[in-house]
Amino acid sequence: MAPFLIKRLLHGVAVLWVVATLTFALLRLLPGGPFDRDRRLPPEVMANIEAKYHLNEPFLAQYARYIRGIAAGDLGPSYKYIDRTVADVVRDTLPPSMFLGIFALALALAVSLPLGVAAAAWHDRWIDRACTTMATLGISLPNFILGAVLIWIFSLKLGWFQAARWGSPGSAVLPAITLGAMPCAQLTYLLRSSMLETLGEDFIRTARAKGVREALVLFKHALRNSLIPVLTLLGPLFAILVAGSFVIEYVFAIPGMGRFFITAVTDRDYPLVMGVTLVYTAILVCANLAVDMLYSVVDPRVRTR
Amino acid sequence: MTFSFGKSLCRLILPLVFLLVVAACNRNSGSADGKTFRVNLGTEPPSLDWSLATDHVSFNVIANLMVGLAEFDKTLKPAPVIAKSWDVVDGGKRIIFHLREDATWSDGKKVVAGDFEFSWKRLLDPKTASEYSYTLFDIVNAEEYNHGKITDDKEVGVSALDDTTLEVRLKNPAPYFLSLMTFEVTFPQRRDAVEKYGSKWTEPDNIVTNGPFLLSSWKHENEIRLKANPNFFLGKPAIDNVEMMMVNEMTTALALYEQGQLDFLDNHSIPILEKPRLAKAQGFQHVPQLRGEYYGFAVNKKPFDDVRVRKAFAMAIDRNFLPSLLRGGEQAATSWIPPGMLAYNAKIGLPYNPPEARRLLREAGYPEGKGFPAVTLIYNTLDDKKTVAEAVQGMWKRNLGVLVRLENLEWKVYLKRLQNDPPAIFRAGWGADYPDPDNFIKLFASYSPQNYSRWKNSRYDQLLEQAAREMNEQKRVRLYNDAQKILCEVDVPIVPLFSTSESTLLNPHYTGLEYNSMGRLVLRNVKARSEK
Repeated sequence: MAPFLIKRLLHGVAVLWVVATLTFALLRLLPGGPFDRDRRLPPEVMANIEAKYHLNEPFLAQYARYIRGIAAGDLGPSYKYIDRTVADVVRDTLPPSMFLGIFALALALAVSLPLGVAAAAWHDRWIDRACTTMATLGISLPNFILGAVLIWIFSLKLGWFQAARWGSPGSAVLPAITLGAMPCAQLTYLLRSSMLETLGEDFIRTARAKGVREALVLFKHALRNSLIPVLTLLGPLFAILVAGSFVIEYVFAIPGMGRFFITAVTDRDYPLVMGVTLVYTAILVCANLAVDMLYSVVDPRVRTR
Repeated sequence: MTFSFGKSLCRLILPLVFLLVVAACNRNSGSADGKTFRVNLGTEPPSLDWSLATDHVSFNVIANLMVGLAEFDKTLKPAPVIAKSWDVVDGGKRIIFHLREDATWSDGKKVVAGDFEFSWKRLLDPKTASEYSYTLFDIVNAEEYNHGKITDDKEVGVSALDDTTLEVRLKNPAPYFLSLMTFEVTFPQRRDAVEKYGSKWTEPDNIVTNGPFLLSSWKHENEIRLKANPNFFLGKPAIDNVEMMMVNEMTTALALYEQGQLDFLDNHSIPILEKPRLAKAQGFQHVPQLRGEYYGFAVNKKPFDDVRVRKAFAMAIDRNFLPSLLRGGEQAATSWIPPGMLAYNAKIGLPYNPPEARRLLREAGYPEGKGFPAVTLIYNTLDDKKTVAEAVQGMWKRNLGVLVRLENLEWKVYLKRLQNDPPAIFRAGWGADYPDPDNFIKLFASYSPQNYSRWKNSRYDQLLEQAAREMNEQKRVRLYNDAQKILCEVDVPIVPLFSTSESTLLNPHYTGLEYNSMGRLVLRNVKARSEK
């Protein structure tokens, strides 16, 4: 296991370097700079700012400075949030995003696992049709619409939740439902089709012929063997959910990291864009590694070397 | 491995059910208690360091934490605050500020003239790299120090003569200089706090302020809490606490207001489509702003190098129609200096006159728009900019027979395009940094970085310089009138469209909130209506 882990970690570092390099180069190609304003600054004032942030240096010198910084754990200053470093911004905003992402994923799993199993067990019956209809809705309904509808019903009409205000009791419930709806639908679909395939296998037929109870057949034999595709999806899904969602954070005023994938680009806050991209990549690398390790736990046929 | 799906599921579901129950019990209890006032900032303030802040969100927080030498009175003239008086001497080239002795910082120390000297020199220091450093370039050697031509800050013309006397030496008389004393970037700072905590000096545990409220907490991207300063030298505010939320989405902010969780919304938190409904609500109002919108022409490129074409395009726009389209309290304008500012003159400018516009276009060689080259109008991607552009496009088509192509651009791309290669026509706007016509009219000086039209008129430049040095107000107004006539009637490099307003919504339980025409939110006089 140790050589495998070391190999995968080295691979992860290489991925981070490629992502950092590509992001750095692509950002410089975007028209407009971080300090372009409608109040255009006198050239000398702009020169002071560029000198402060080393933007007056040649491209390669800036790149070398940035890579050296990352290697030393320094993601640099934010150009927009002048008093804070990118590390400060990530430290402040990643925890709410992670909390919400994990909550949404837990919710999605809690709903999709029984639904997926039920849809497969009662294939082509009304339960199956109801589950697939719900899953279709979950996939096709944009989350900003779902969020607005939930606010309208549960905040404005029923008064159960506040429309926003992160940190108040229950403030994560509506955003988690909104964020978890699409993954829940995807997982339901995936599990249903995987279960249907597994239920047609010989070992299931054998188990049933031996008189094993149907619940045991479903939950012990079939579900366990159907989880591989679900696990494959869970890695990237986990990374996407915990890194934050621009739309959910925008609609529910959540102080998360997801908004910076959009706003930092429009602000041309180069270090912040690169910072959040690297954090996202690191989460993705770790999540995929965890999934690879889980494969061997769920399915003994899979062996990591 | 044993796999107990039922148990795993229970472990997941039970905490969720618990959370749902807790949340369901959390009924909205937010109503006006008279002690805590809640406003929506919309976004995280990028900086609470008033030497580095550049945006209205940051300034709206700072304006409640700090006071400076002066503040606006009701007529937007500078009125003393920390300065108890000032003397303008040597024909306007020297200003002596006399400070009051009872102004204190939040840690009890006195506010002294040296705090202003430190703050101003920090603003000018090239290492600070302040975007607003240029606001003090009228001071002797300020520009030279900022540009690194001199390195000794003692040569800069601002010095504390003693704890209560601040002397400022100017290169030339500048009648607008006192207005700058209302601008947050000129507020005092404590050297010890800035030097001790570096870039973290604005965090709640480190910051030292002198205004009506104290910064009690700052949860980044979430909310800022202020509490009343019991030792504020102008008296403790009536409300004890202020909660400043950062709800970006307008409909969510409005939902919070309607749930009783917010007491004040500004334009950035009120959806345009909701304005007609809210206009009937108690507490809703339009606050005219010192901010103007205009369309500019690239005067060095055909066909707008011909002044007749520029005039024709200006006279073909029915500016009175635009406010009815936008419904945000805008005021149609033919002149550039906005209402509420010295030298505002509604009589200046080219009126809507389609027959005359057609005649001018014919004279320029484009009868009924025939043979007119393809031209593009650019604007930044925003709904209201698009609405105006489409309306004006229709007017030009109807009145001149010219179809102008519209192109919307993302903000930074749009700015870069304006700076590098402005197209035939472009949309732009300007909001006052300080309420003086100098701040508006200088935009189109030949040397101005904002002069995207690339228009040059030496007479115009000369009038601005004269007006900027003229201490007699009536003479200044005459000079600005002459300059505006050149800008809006004679050369017409721009067409003013309208001045803007901010829509605001205040919980009727409260009174005393000031939202001024510079877009500043002043909370120190807010109180519950029942309080006398």
